[in-house]
Order: sequence, then C-alpha cells, then structure tokens
Amino acid sequence: MDAKLKETILNPIFKGNPITVLVLGICSSLAVTVTLKGALVMALSVIVVCGISSLILSLLRKTIPGRVRIIVQLVVVAMMVILVDQILKSFEATYAIDKQLSVYIGLIITNCIVMGRIEAFALGNKPWPSFLDGVANGAGYGLILLIVAFFRELLGSGTLFGIDILNRFGYVPNNLVILPPFALILLGCIVWVQRSVQKDLQEK
Amino acid sequence: MNTNNNVYTVVYTTIIVVVVAAILAFVSQSLKAKQEANEKADTISQMLTAAQYGSKADLSGMGNTAVLAKYDEEIEDAFVIDLEGNELRKLEGNDVYSPKQLKRQNYNIKGGPNKTGEPELPVFVFKNGRTVVPIYGAGLWGPVWGYISFETDLKTIGGAYFDHESETAGLGAKIKDDPSFQATFVGELADFSDTNVFDIVKGGAPKDAEGKSVVDNKIDAISGATMTSQGLDAAIDTWLGAYAKYFLGANNANACEEE
Repeated sequence: MDAKLKETILNPIFKGNPITVLVLGICSSLAVTVTLKGALVMALSVIVVCGISSLILSLLRKTIPGRVRIIVQLVVVAMMVILVDQILKSFEATYAIDKQLSVYIGLIITNCIVMGRIEAFALGNKPWPSFLDGVANGAGYGLILLIVAFFRELLGSGTLFGIDILNRFGYVPNNLVILPPFALILLGCIVWVQRSVQKDLQEK
Repeated sequence: MNTNNNVYTVVYTTIIVVVVAAILAFVSQSLKAKQEANEKADTISQMLTAAQYGSKADLSGMGNTAVLAKYDEEIEDAFVIDLEGNELRKLEGNDVYSPKQLKRQNYNIKGGPNKTGEPELPVFVFKNGRTVVPIYGAGLWGPVWGYISFETDLKTIGGAYFDHESETAGLGAKIKDDPSFQATFVGELADFSDTNVFDIVKGGAPKDAEGKSVVDNKIDAISGATMTSQGLDAAIDTWLGAYAKYFLGANNANACEEE
C-alpha cells in the first residue's frame, strides 16, 4: 500500500480525529455513549454511511452539477441513513438498540463528519481512496465513541456490554456519569491527552 | 460536458431523486414483514411488563419467539369492546393492537374529522388476574402510548409501561426509560366515576407521613417534562374514560356475584 493511501486511513483515526481535532460530530457522541452496545452500533452505522456515501459520490463526482452539489450529497447520505435505519429495525438483535438510539440514527444525516468528508475529500478524489477516507473517518469517530462509552458504562452502570463488572464488588453506580455533561468532561480529558502527546496541535 | 446548464441540472436531480426513491421503496417493502414482527413482539413484551410478568429488558431479551410463546401461555382472554362496555369480538391468537391501530382508535374516541368509525377498544386479561388496557395520546414531540394493568378489583393499578416516539432524552423519555416512574403507578386507584380518571400532577401528589404517595388517583409528574407529563395524563384520562363503562359494569357484576 502506498504511503498516501496509508495516510488517508491512519490520519483520521488519531492525528486528525474528526471528534477531538476537527471537533465534528460532538452532539451524537454525548447522546449515544451511555452504553457500549449503543455506541458500537452507532459507530458501525456511521462507518457504513460515511464509507458508502463517499464511494457513491466519488463515482458521481464528475457528473454532479456544481450548483446543486450539496443537495445531491444530502439525497445520497439521507438514502444511506434510511437504509441503515430500516435494516437495524428488521433484525431482532438490533431492534431494541435501534429503538434506544431512536432519533440519533436518523440524525447521522446531519452529522458534520459525513458531509464534511464528502465535500472535502470524495468530490476531489478517486472512488477507492474516498471510500477508505469515509471508513477511516467513521472509525476515528467510532473509536472516541467507544472510549467515552467504556468509561460511562463502567462508572455509570458498573457494567460493560451489559455484563456486570463492578457491581459485584459493591460499587455504587455514579449517576453523574450517565448524564450528558460527563461525556463532555471525558471528551475534554481525551482532547487534553491527545494535545499533550501531539505537540503540533497546541496553539502558540 | 457542461454540467452547469439548467436542463442538465433539472434532469440530473430528477433522475437521482427517482432512483433513490425507488431503492428506498423497494427496501421498505421487502423488510416490512420483519419489522412488523419485531414491533408486535415489542408490543406484547410491553403488555407483559404492564401485567408484571417481568421487567421490559428481561422480556425483550428473551427474543421474539419466546415472548410470543409466553403471551400464548399467559393470556386468559382477549377481546374488543365498544364504549358501552359490550364485547364486540374476540382477539384470536397473538392478535394485538399496534401503535398505528391505537392511533386510529384514539381518533375514534375523540371524534372530529379523522374519525373513521365507532371505537373498538382491546382488553387483555392475563392468567395472573390482571387486566391490561392500552392508552394513546400526544406527548411533546410525538405520540406517547402504553399499557396499564388493573388488579382483579378492576380499580387498583397493577403495573404500567409507557413508550414514546420522540420525547426528549433524559426528560420526557423517562416515561419509558425510568422504571421508578412506572412503578409509582402501582397500587394507585383509578376513579372511573370521574371524567378525570387519573392525574399526573405537578408539585406533588398527596403524601403520607413516610413520604409515600397516598393511595388515590394522583401521582407525581416528571420534573423537567411538564408537557410530556400533561400529554400522558390527557392520554390516560381519555382512554380510561373510554373504558369506564366496561370497568364500572364489570365491577357491579362482581359485586352482584358476591351478594
């Protein structure tokens, strides 16, 4: 694999992470990180939507009329989101999760990461790199989601993926961790860690 | 190719929209049966929760087939009544009312331009003696609905479960997510002789010395979710009001038998 392609995949996961560096997709990362299961389904949904929308729009990029390009992007992204939602609703295993995530699956349409990557990358690059860029950005988003959800579920409910971890040792779940503000505190800590490791992100 | 002239733009967007619409319509049609099966199992698990056969999470965790089997095993009688409390017909097998059907009946109870016929209200009697009836109404952002079960005296509430489409997470959504809210219904009494059958009040329902809610037809609303609480209150009053004649009639029949 050539270096440029490798960079396309690795950059969004850490150095140019969409949540901690670009600060996109913050709202849903607060809302769906109460449980790991919810965060995992959300992360996979965003990876699928982001990757396939980027692929489709990159294939169409030379034919899209410039003046309605945003509308065409929206139509394709909305279609992908509705497809994902419909599929989640049809399986027994994911039906309850889909209900729990309720509006947030639909709101992937407005997730800035998806439209942002299409506009910035897919419309100017070939299909294969665009697909990888979409998937990698979804994965970067998903990684942060899972880190936040790990701490919130562990400290807020004493479980991981619904399996009891801390409660058996007499741990009393902390209700603050369940509430949205704690996700913001955790995100702040993650940004802090990343900026201390990556000095070039610090403002002079 | 000039992609910026008007004809091209119009034709291009038309084709994109038609193609997307066709794909979505096809997928929606082909997955419909599966989605309806999931919805039905979910509805049944909500009724079983209201009838106190276990927590919603446990019942949903059993899987669709097990939930349907449990319902088959535990249902004593299921039928449809009119506003006068007369039985119209039986509900066979695992025939239950989907939220969509509840919506239609809600229009029929309330009257107005959307009324399609006389109300046909479902009643579910379980083998543990509890009678489950649905409620349906408008919350803050979308519909709220749920199931309330009554003990054999047909006055005392045995349990409740509520669901919603799009209430605010963490506030209005507590009607579904907060089991302690649903638990406050247990043991309270519905007053079927009043139009105000049951009350969800702001500022505190009457409490006894130990701080427990007095047994009456009032419980505390959810703080921060006034509109959802009011919507749920109205939904309960409308629906239990529609069932009033059935419950009062059945009560009198019980009283006669005892004499």
